[in-house]
Amino acid sequence: MARKSGFSRTRGDRAFDALNLAVWIVVLAVVLYPLWLIVIASFSSAEAIYGGKVLLWPVDFSAIGYEAVFQHKLLLRSYLNALLYTIAGSSLSVIVTMMAAYALSRKFAGKKFLNGYFVFSMLFTAGLIPQFLINRQLGLYDTVTLMIIINCVSVWNLMIARTYISSSIPGELYEAAVIDGADHFVYFSRVVLPLSGTIIAVLCVYYGVARWNDYFTAYIYIRDPNKLPLQTVLRDIIASANAGTSLDAFMDFFGDGKTISNAVRKAEVVKYCCIVISTAPVIALYVYMQKFFVKGVTIGSLKG
Amino acid sequence: MLMRIGRAMRRDWQLYALLFPAVVLIFIFCYLPMYGVQIAFRDFKAAFGIAGSRWVGLKNFADFFNSYYAPRLLLNTFLLNAFGLLCSFPIPIVMAILLNSLEWRRFKRFTQTAIYAPHFISPVVMIGMLYLFLSPNSGLVNKLLGLLGRNEIYFMSEVSWFRTLFIGSDIWQHAGWNTIIYIAALTAIDPELYEAATMDGAGKVQKIRYIDAPHLAPIIVILLILNCGAMLSSNTDKAWLMQTPGNIPASDIIGVYVYRMGMRQGQFSYVAAINLLINAINFVMIITVNGIAKRTGVTGLF
Repeated sequence: MARKSGFSRTRGDRAFDALNLAVWIVVLAVVLYPLWLIVIASFSSAEAIYGGKVLLWPVDFSAIGYEAVFQHKLLLRSYLNALLYTIAGSSLSVIVTMMAAYALSRKFAGKKFLNGYFVFSMLFTAGLIPQFLINRQLGLYDTVTLMIIINCVSVWNLMIARTYISSSIPGELYEAAVIDGADHFVYFSRVVLPLSGTIIAVLCVYYGVARWNDYFTAYIYIRDPNKLPLQTVLRDIIASANAGTSLDAFMDFFGDGKTISNAVRKAEVVKYCCIVISTAPVIALYVYMQKFFVKGVTIGSLKG
Repeated sequence: MLMRIGRAMRRDWQLYALLFPAVVLIFIFCYLPMYGVQIAFRDFKAAFGIAGSRWVGLKNFADFFNSYYAPRLLLNTFLLNAFGLLCSFPIPIVMAILLNSLEWRRFKRFTQTAIYAPHFISPVVMIGMLYLFLSPNSGLVNKLLGLLGRNEIYFMSEVSWFRTLFIGSDIWQHAGWNTIIYIAALTAIDPELYEAATMDGAGKVQKIRYIDAPHLAPIIVILLILNCGAMLSSNTDKAWLMQTPGNIPASDIIGVYVYRMGMRQGQFSYVAAINLLINAINFVMIITVNGIAKRTGVTGLF
């Protein structure tokens, strides 16, 4: 917000500004340094990492970790699976959510009941075990279908989209369209959707990131290793008490085979590479979309 | 009555058609499982099915309360949420105010982009980063401790470090993102107020004290109240990633226990009962806090 005025700033203000700037430089360092450290470590040698030498730039620059990652069949497979689940799942989510959000933004009989139906499902859940048993009984256990349609509608996102539609698309447009002979389907697809770019971008990011980052669903429902998504496979490699044991075995096989400890060390670099390849798409999507969605989020949340 | 429904259907059938997919999907994944909740009152055996298993009434609930774990689980869950709220709630407020009073526009934009970014990191990667940075052999943190002549710390398997790491990483990831709602509120303030304050000779600190703070107060109160409704909720996926044999006394929270005993050890009825109890408590709490929030004069959550 621009607050420059013709008045000169006081000494107190200048001191405040300097202090404020200093605070933000520290905050930025705290936020960005761990991310930077991941990137530079992924391009360094295992010896340099173990020696604690990787601090500001890659040391003994090498891409050996990435070579190993691209030979890890399970990891590549899971990457493709994650892409499929994310793209198919979030497209479905966005379409279904926008349709329902439009309907809920209009007046019709039974609207109150349906609102309650959605909100209650968000506030009270049956719990992990009943959900698991029912999904298994429906024949969804260990299926790609489940990975795409589960958690398809987030009620929270539905409410944000509904608020957006009812607050930013003028009601007169509907009346004008009706006079021109439009029904709800036509109005929704020809008027509402083209005017909802911002909220669609927001939904894409929310649903897409949630899908991409979810490891727990597959952890519960998927047995077949060929159907596992990236995050679930990553968990065994980087984020559990005995992380990397499967990777060590792989590296032993892949590595130059000198010693096991050599493989273990190299596995450490591979972990950094895994983080980079799994997180880069999400951060890229965020940076690309951020202009839209910071606006969209605030519209949806404030007027709610 | 029937005629009225018929007429509404004819007029608005397209709206119902647009709602249909969402209603069905929510039904399958949220309402259908509620039929399975009855196993909390039964002794579920897969061979007999959900409705065919023996009815045992409140036995599963009694078992939980009589177990050694009940107080520990409730306390761990509550403490993790309470400390989490205490530590992470004020930070976004301060950040939003400071960000709002930053002068350099481009630096401000860059900062905003940067502090939102960690929000998009997955729990697996977040915990993976903790394991890597805090590793006793290769992690940077322990290297630094070594330089200071200190022994290495096995952070991930120390009971005393669990909550600090859990809450600390939450703050690192989400504090920036959580500024959004406050920044939106600050952006809505009429610039004339600041100009008038400048005329009256107010400095920046006074503007924060007399303009920003009163404008943020209602949102702060609402969010604080609403957050208090989540004191027994579990961030299961993250806590499960962080649980190691060493830190179980602190990391065993309800969601993790439900997963471990249910999915790993197959005690379906027992954990379904625990889950039902906690979900019911959470439900009552959120309804209560939402009512309180509404009574403060500003709108509640729903």
